[in-house]
Amino acid sequence: MENKRLKWLAAPYGVWAAGFIIIPLLMIVIYAFTSQETGGFTLSNFGDVFTGEVMKALGLSLVLALISTLICILLAYPLAMILAGMKVSQKSFIVFIFILPMWMNFLLRTFAWQTLLEKNGVINTLLGALHLPKLEIINTPWAIVLGMVYNFLPFMILPIYNVLIKLDQDVLNAARDLGANSFQTFWKVTFPLSLPGVISGVTMVFIPSLTTFVISDLLGGGKILLIGNMIEQEFKQLNNWNVGSAMSMILLIFVIVSMVIEAKYDKTGEGTAL
Amino acid sequence: MKNKLIDLVNITKSYDGVTILDDLNLYIRENEFLTLLGPSGCGKTTTLRIMGGFEHPDSGKVLFDGKDITELPPNKRQLNTVFQKYALFPHMSVAENIAFGLKIRNKPQAYINDKIRYALKLVNMDGAENRYPASLSGGQQQRVAIARAIVNEPKVLLLDEPLGALDLKLRQDMQYELMRLKNELGITFVYVTHDQEEALTMSDTIVVMNQGYIQQVGTPEDIYNEPQNAFVADFIGDSNILDGRMIQDKLVEILGVKFPCVDTGFGENRPVDVVIRPEDVELVKPEDGQLTGRVTSLIFKGVHYEMEVRANGFDWLVHSTRLQEVGSEVGITVDPFNIQIMNKPESTDEEAVPVGE
Amino acid sequence: MKKILKRIYMILILFLLYAPIATLIVLSFNSSKSRAKWGGFTLDWYSSLFQNNEIMEAFYTTLLVALLAAAIATLIGTLAAIGIHAMGKKARTIFTGITNIPMLNSEIVMGVSLMLLFIILRIRLGFSTILLAHITFDIPYVILNVLPKMKQTDRNVYEAALDLGATPFYAFRKTILPDIMPGISSGFLLSFTMSLDDFVITYFTKGPGVDTLSTKIYSEVRKGIKPEIYALSTILFVSVMLLLLLINLAPSKESPKELEKDSRYLAKTGHRRIFTRHMVIGRLVPGLLIVVLAAGGIYYGGKTTAAGQNQVIVYNWGEYIDPDVLTQFEEETGIHVIYEEYETNEIMYPKIKAGAVAYDCVCPSDYMIQKMIDNDLLQKIDFDNVPNIKNIGEIYEKASQAFDPTNEYSIPYCWGTMGILYNTKMVDEPVTSWKILWDSKYKDSILMQDSVRDAFCVALKYLGYSANTTNMQELQEAKDLLIAQKPLVQAYVIDQVRDKMIGNEAALGVIYSGEAIYTARENPDLAYVVPDEGSNVWFDSWVIPKNAPHKENAEKFLNFLCRPDIALKNFEYITYSTPNVAAQQLIEDPDIRDSQVAFPDDATLERCETYSYLGADAEEIYNDLWNEVKSS
Repeated sequence: MENKRLKWLAAPYGVWAAGFIIIPLLMIVIYAFTSQETGGFTLSNFGDVFTGEVMKALGLSLVLALISTLICILLAYPLAMILAGMKVSQKSFIVFIFILPMWMNFLLRTFAWQTLLEKNGVINTLLGALHLPKLEIINTPWAIVLGMVYNFLPFMILPIYNVLIKLDQDVLNAARDLGANSFQTFWKVTFPLSLPGVISGVTMVFIPSLTTFVISDLLGGGKILLIGNMIEQEFKQLNNWNVGSAMSMILLIFVIVSMVIEAKYDKTGEGTAL
Repeated sequence: MKNKLIDLVNITKSYDGVTILDDLNLYIRENEFLTLLGPSGCGKTTTLRIMGGFEHPDSGKVLFDGKDITELPPNKRQLNTVFQKYALFPHMSVAENIAFGLKIRNKPQAYINDKIRYALKLVNMDGAENRYPASLSGGQQQRVAIARAIVNEPKVLLLDEPLGALDLKLRQDMQYELMRLKNELGITFVYVTHDQEEALTMSDTIVVMNQGYIQQVGTPEDIYNEPQNAFVADFIGDSNILDGRMIQDKLVEILGVKFPCVDTGFGENRPVDVVIRPEDVELVKPEDGQLTGRVTSLIFKGVHYEMEVRANGFDWLVHSTRLQEVGSEVGITVDPFNIQIMNKPESTDEEAVPVGE
Repeated sequence: MKKILKRIYMILILFLLYAPIATLIVLSFNSSKSRAKWGGFTLDWYSSLFQNNEIMEAFYTTLLVALLAAAIATLIGTLAAIGIHAMGKKARTIFTGITNIPMLNSEIVMGVSLMLLFIILRIRLGFSTILLAHITFDIPYVILNVLPKMKQTDRNVYEAALDLGATPFYAFRKTILPDIMPGISSGFLLSFTMSLDDFVITYFTKGPGVDTLSTKIYSEVRKGIKPEIYALSTILFVSVMLLLLLINLAPSKESPKELEKDSRYLAKTGHRRIFTRHMVIGRLVPGLLIVVLAAGGIYYGGKTTAAGQNQVIVYNWGEYIDPDVLTQFEEETGIHVIYEEYETNEIMYPKIKAGAVAYDCVCPSDYMIQKMIDNDLLQKIDFDNVPNIKNIGEIYEKASQAFDPTNEYSIPYCWGTMGILYNTKMVDEPVTSWKILWDSKYKDSILMQDSVRDAFCVALKYLGYSANTTNMQELQEAKDLLIAQKPLVQAYVIDQVRDKMIGNEAALGVIYSGEAIYTARENPDLAYVVPDEGSNVWFDSWVIPKNAPHKENAEKFLNFLCRPDIALKNFEYITYSTPNVAAQQLIEDPDIRDSQVAFPDDATLERCETYSYLGADAEEIYNDLWNEVKSS
């Protein structure tokens, strides 16, 4: 009887979610199918989306996002394992150290890479002093990949770390006990059991990488257009919200796919919380 | 005399400055059902984990069949472990769990299939091949964990409180199953538990441990009937533990009353601990008792009545099949054979008695 | 060995994570304004930070938004979590599903969707829309932190309390609330953090005059960041670090190793740890925040309320006015200036057109003014209210007729040419032609303008065509030329050309004449030339949009800007040529007064043309072609 009444405490949120989550998304859909000139139904916005430039930008975004996600997994997994294996007394401090950078404004952090990577930047000055070849990745896709990895790495470390520390040590011991060496134990037990964390990390790295316009803006020298830049342009400069919405809808498809995958692996819905 | 299969020599282990095991020596003979018994934190699980290779002793050696295996990782040891919370692989089916060790050893598939069927039959889990651990009850998971361990034909099976999470009835059933298994397989079992009843029921040998020291090693009968110190007496079964004074050989003074006993060699006028099991306290008419008291509580326990009798300032725990009303006056007598005399430890730390056998 | 490898690996990753932060901290002590060179140690930026109203206001807005959004989200989210917990399975699945949307959705899609909503609902973009957007993405964090704690609560305890006669609310407060409190406070903190750091969603939902730190930084990143921003970020970072260190480390320092043996002691320190955390999170953090907010509120609130409704909303190019001029105007007239900046005409135009944001005066370029007149977005200026118009030179009025035929809509503010800025140390040959921008010798040393018309102007002029052509053939040629040039280009930038040229990052850059004076001052190796093929001469003039809410104040402001002393002040600050003849005569330095760069001779001007508005269709063609270049 108490349940029935308590349920209504979620009503304000229900209204809020409908107004500010659901309806705005519908807005995008409506705009995507509306003509800018006539205001009537049209598919022509999608015609503008499936052009060479936009598809190229989308393709490039996909490739860069995939590369970044992969690098993030490769960097974060060993790190998460090292962190999970540390003594309890050190743990909170170490984890804290990996989260702390997120408190510096993300635009500034990314921007700082310009100073580091520039032709006469900090890194190249150091390399020059050591008579090493210069690192020339600023204003190339690689600088953008670096920016993505840099910004989103913590989002990969934390979910994997969270899964790893919750692993029952005795399950791993059992594998050793049954004859598996440490490599076999990792591949047959540790890794499959940590997959939910990896999946959660992948969705938290892939989608932001796919849709960013800031990182490409700051580290790409305006030479590289990602799908995010295209959308930003449509809304902020070209003022064509309909085509912009159509592009956003394409991104929405990727978002939905990732939500479905995430929901499949993370049944409790807690894995995404930091 | 069967030979020593596992020999722990001078094992010491500590965590963060806390000593868990201090210079422990213990051997396990082939084909024995040995139980490590003690309260939590006594070091019994650590001892087992050192045998399994999950912990590395700070000093000391682990010998297996005479060979030093101290530095050998778990996967190279001829032992298998059944873990406290079963530790089944949650992402594998029952069959895959059982096949794990065999696949690692590259056994042919046909052999593996036979083994799975055989092992499941052995633990009464026929037909559960394709189920997943999450869909099994605690008892079923326990059986799978055992099956997973025994298909590898280990020489020794280490069991870490395997029945701890089960309810009473299931636990008793599983005790018999484990004994049956041991007999059918003919291998050595090392069993860790804090449940004295479990230990008494199943074991060939019981090792009672406390605070990192071995208190007593012996058969269940030895341990129960002849506890070597107050800790063992208190831990195994209910008992009345009293301060006493050895007047001379075969005579002990308890609560100001002299009792004849059978123990000798404790010296004269020495303080000792005296243990008397509650079922060994006989209630008689007041005038026939060595001392008299009054019944202060009475509980019906099914097989017997449990009573408390206040006599000479001590609350005696008494198990008897004959009822005495609360408030009635009774006499107490104890058969000299049922009085167990023990040396008092000089300090709590030395409660441990170095044990030979 | 393994341990050492692990250490090295961790240190490498930490290096990756902290290198940029260290860079920013170092830059905050750099006395050179340009981040490209080290000019010695200084603390100046820290002191000037507190005098920089724009930054402090942005900071205050950021804090206020984050705090309000987190507080409201915590309330709604906590109620929602309790409600969701009490729901049946189906409803719960739907609600948690919806809750996941903002968490997993791409920020840009969410920002865009909210912007569309606000514009359709005719909610003026501003502080309130930012707040609504932030609450929206904060709520899920609260729910996801409280819900698991709800699951852990023991219903029996609550029911026992009811059984003992407590009212439901009292029972809730005494039994459930303490259990879920950790979830609520971590939800609040997480929301606060997310709000603080958000850029994308704020960017799409903000209006004029409101900036959070993030949006402020974004607009500054494009034209060179003010070092005060580094100082502020350093202060923020260090204080957060100290605060978190306090929470994380204080208790463990108090428990020396030998005492850890004693389990009773451990239990006690455990208690203390919870206590300390509770103290810090529960009292200290909110306490500090309230102090900061109250102080900020009194300080800045005092300023805004004093000005009241008497304000003027100015929308201008970045770095295009001396901040002292604004202060002086406010002091002399008592009118509060709300000031916002844009980087290109193309960014400015849709904002005016959408009308979601109302500005009082804007400073577009020539062709854009024509377009705005054509689209009926401007109103005539009442020149009776702008007597200082007499100071503007007649030739500039005349030239303005190219885009404002009747001289009724605009007042010239700055003018200049576009040309090539080059580093005489890196370029040996004389620079006379646009051709040099296609010389592969200078691969990766060329900076192009990141704007459609300027980029095409360069190519079209090089080809000998008009910069206003709509001939498809000519445009295709120009596009191909730009695509061919792309591999040689180091970056397409706007205001950053300046900093990069000063820092010797590039040899050649396309830039406006006004910047050339400033850059030559900072780096004497730099020289500016208008190529022989001709270029663009441009005017930036003040106009008043149709929907300006404070027209009279706008005219007062424009009149003020036309005063010779003010125009001179602006000229010295922005270094773009002024059309204010009276001000020109006041320039003391003869080198500048007679400078060819600042005031080019007639022959040079004859080679140049202004941009005209080409119509929507042509504009789309230009944009499409430019996109082709950018994505090639």
